[in-house]
Amino acid sequence: MEITIIALATLATVGRILALMLLSVFSGWGLAYLAVKSRRFENTYVPLVNVLESIPVIAFLPVVLLVFIAGLGGTIGVEVAVDFLVFDAVAWNVWIGAYQAFKTVPEHLLQVSENYNFGFGRTMWDLYIPHSIPRVTSNLFSSFADAFFYISVSEVFTVGVRTYQTFGIGTLIAVFTQEGDVTGLYYSLASIAIAVIVVTIGLTNLSRRSIAKFGVDSTLEISHDVHLNRRFRALDVFRSRTRSMSRLAGRIAHPARRMGFEGEEGPPTPIIHLMRVAAKSIIACMGLGVFAYLIYSSLLIAIAVPGAQWETFISSTPFLLFSMGADYLRVLAVTAASFFVAITLGYVLATHHRASLVVSPIIQAIAAFPAPTYFPLIFIATLPFVSAALPYSYSEVYVFILGFLSCFYYVFFDFWIGVQAIPVQFWEVMRNNELGLRTRMRRIILPGTFPYLITGLSSTINSAWAGIAIGEYWPNIFGNHTLEVDHGMMKYISINMANGQIASAAWVSFLFAIVVAIYGIVFTRNLMDLARKKYVVEEGVYAA
Amino acid sequence: MSSLTVSESSGGVKTHTELEGRNLAYGYTKSKMVFEHINLKTFENELVAIVGPTGCGKSTLIRNLGYLIPPTTGQVFLDEKEVKKPSSRISLIHQSIATFPWMTALQNVKLSLVCKHLEEDEANKVAKEMLALVGLNGFEDYYPKEMSGGMRQKIAIARSLAASPEILLMDEPFVHLDELTATAMRKEIYDLVFNPETSLKSAVLVSHNLQEVVQLADRIYVMNGSPASIIDEIKVDIPRPRSQREPIFFQYIDRLYSELSGSMKQ
Repeated sequence: MEITIIALATLATVGRILALMLLSVFSGWGLAYLAVKSRRFENTYVPLVNVLESIPVIAFLPVVLLVFIAGLGGTIGVEVAVDFLVFDAVAWNVWIGAYQAFKTVPEHLLQVSENYNFGFGRTMWDLYIPHSIPRVTSNLFSSFADAFFYISVSEVFTVGVRTYQTFGIGTLIAVFTQEGDVTGLYYSLASIAIAVIVVTIGLTNLSRRSIAKFGVDSTLEISHDVHLNRRFRALDVFRSRTRSMSRLAGRIAHPARRMGFEGEEGPPTPIIHLMRVAAKSIIACMGLGVFAYLIYSSLLIAIAVPGAQWETFISSTPFLLFSMGADYLRVLAVTAASFFVAITLGYVLATHHRASLVVSPIIQAIAAFPAPTYFPLIFIATLPFVSAALPYSYSEVYVFILGFLSCFYYVFFDFWIGVQAIPVQFWEVMRNNELGLRTRMRRIILPGTFPYLITGLSSTINSAWAGIAIGEYWPNIFGNHTLEVDHGMMKYISINMANGQIASAAWVSFLFAIVVAIYGIVFTRNLMDLARKKYVVEEGVYAA
Repeated sequence: MSSLTVSESSGGVKTHTELEGRNLAYGYTKSKMVFEHINLKTFENELVAIVGPTGCGKSTLIRNLGYLIPPTTGQVFLDEKEVKKPSSRISLIHQSIATFPWMTALQNVKLSLVCKHLEEDEANKVAKEMLALVGLNGFEDYYPKEMSGGMRQKIAIARSLAASPEILLMDEPFVHLDELTATAMRKEIYDLVFNPETSLKSAVLVSHNLQEVVQLADRIYVMNGSPASIIDEIKVDIPRPRSQREPIFFQYIDRLYSELSGSMKQ
């Protein structure tokens, strides 16, 4: 009986994730089209997606509770709230992938479509969508894995005395861990493993076929195998920005915009014109409607908060910023450890083919399997030793481990691929000039992989937040055990949620979103610009 | 057999062998040998060329000589001593011009001085001298992407020369340059290679371009066959500076052409 429920719950979770992935693909195509057609929309859309992608799912919980559960209520409210959280985990990868693919449709194909006066439907169906399929399917790997990573917090969450949950394997795992039901937990993990394997094989085949059928750029095909084996889009983003994409993007931008409705030759018939206007109006109205609803809900929430509460928010802000600082230190520690592992192990594996054949599948398996599902087992197995060795700081050790398991492979795989992308001529120069490891690293390997490292570190930092967010306050992680740290912004959010202090949690999320946005603009964007400007290793080999 | 081989160089002066490849062979498997039974030598103050059809393994052979790719069988000797690993004494210039985009011209050249552990000032001085030698005086702080293909190749040459190599291996170094630039650089390269200010003793050039080979080489090894082997060794006995308009120049071209095309027909 238990096995049947576990199987059904796994199917429900996988079905939910796949359905939302499909939704994200369709919505991503629509948004990507708007982005390539309207510079104004693009300038808002792309940074916004980048920022939203940086915010851990858990930080959206207050918004979800306020907007969906309070707004819609009932079973539907809970289901929509859960779907929103899962959607949040899957959408950004796909949206960015679709945007980049649309943005980088080869110029000659755009010219062909212009030549033949393709309308909106044909342009989408015959050009933009087919061209985007390889990239979008590649990004589905990371979306699926990210969604699974968050099932333990997205399918079930507690606010005050009330627990909101929907049927799925994440909910079952939460129940089993609270009850200390190891057998149920093992069955659940086995069920997830089967689901991950089946979906990964399915996505792999889909990706291969889509590349074979729709791939028009050889560089995409080169990067394809990488995508089949990993769960993130960072490299894809980088490659797209540095290779054919960088060459094409600038040139494409103009014809892409020109190819809009206005760019087509010959006057459209009144009916077609009317349909186009109607289609544009519907899309615009839908977008505005969603936006207005979010603004309206936010305003209602802000108005509902009493003045005294605002004073509390403001007065607590220094403490919250201190807690955020503590979290950033944790993220820094996890990122530093990930970076160290990445550059040592990545270099060894990239330069020792046989070792990579053994070690890389192991790391891929760790990457594919959601850490929060098996982490309670690690916790309970090691707790006696770790708490005896570090009685006052063992929680920090577990938060570090969970953070590390959540993210180290991002920078590892990016660096690994980056090292492999270093041209053979560079390796020959290094060997020819008898450069030692330190000199190689400092002068060639690290600069040569800099763009890969930036994307990898960016993804690592984002995912470190995810692991830390879950680990800082994990009530009933196993049986009666609760994992919690002394200070931490994520713990503060979780405790406020658990106590029903949704407004306070929302305030922290708001502050965090501001910091993440600043970080995204100042750190990631500037470093990526620098990487594109100066550290494109492919530009080092001149072959006219 | 001793690696010290006394022979006549192109100038008729007896010199000893600088670089020698002895019974070199390379293959992916024993049944898929790219080339085998390769024996070649370079003498002091001599530029040796290797020509052959595409796919015969010229680029691999030149890397065997620098031990950047170890030969499947055979040995390489530099100044009588067996070479068992890459060394800055044998420097390679690539077909696809390799410069590091995040380094200035000066920094690119200084890279080859790292293994010499020079003081910073000394390294700067040597690198600037080498850049001046290849005609890039004043371009020290430019990045490769700010330069033309010819200038980038000059950076690569300066980097190679800065390492004070005794042997320069050139793998079609002009193939990615436009004809005007390539012609200008060919004129410069011989003087550059044997400039008294450099440590070079001999050079090996791999090329498809028969004019280029006859223009520059003192001796030419012709590779062909499958697996490839040396089918001829031609001493180019044309006084320098060589003019491509002289009948004897065409005779060498014709000979190379007929050897390559004849073998290909077989």
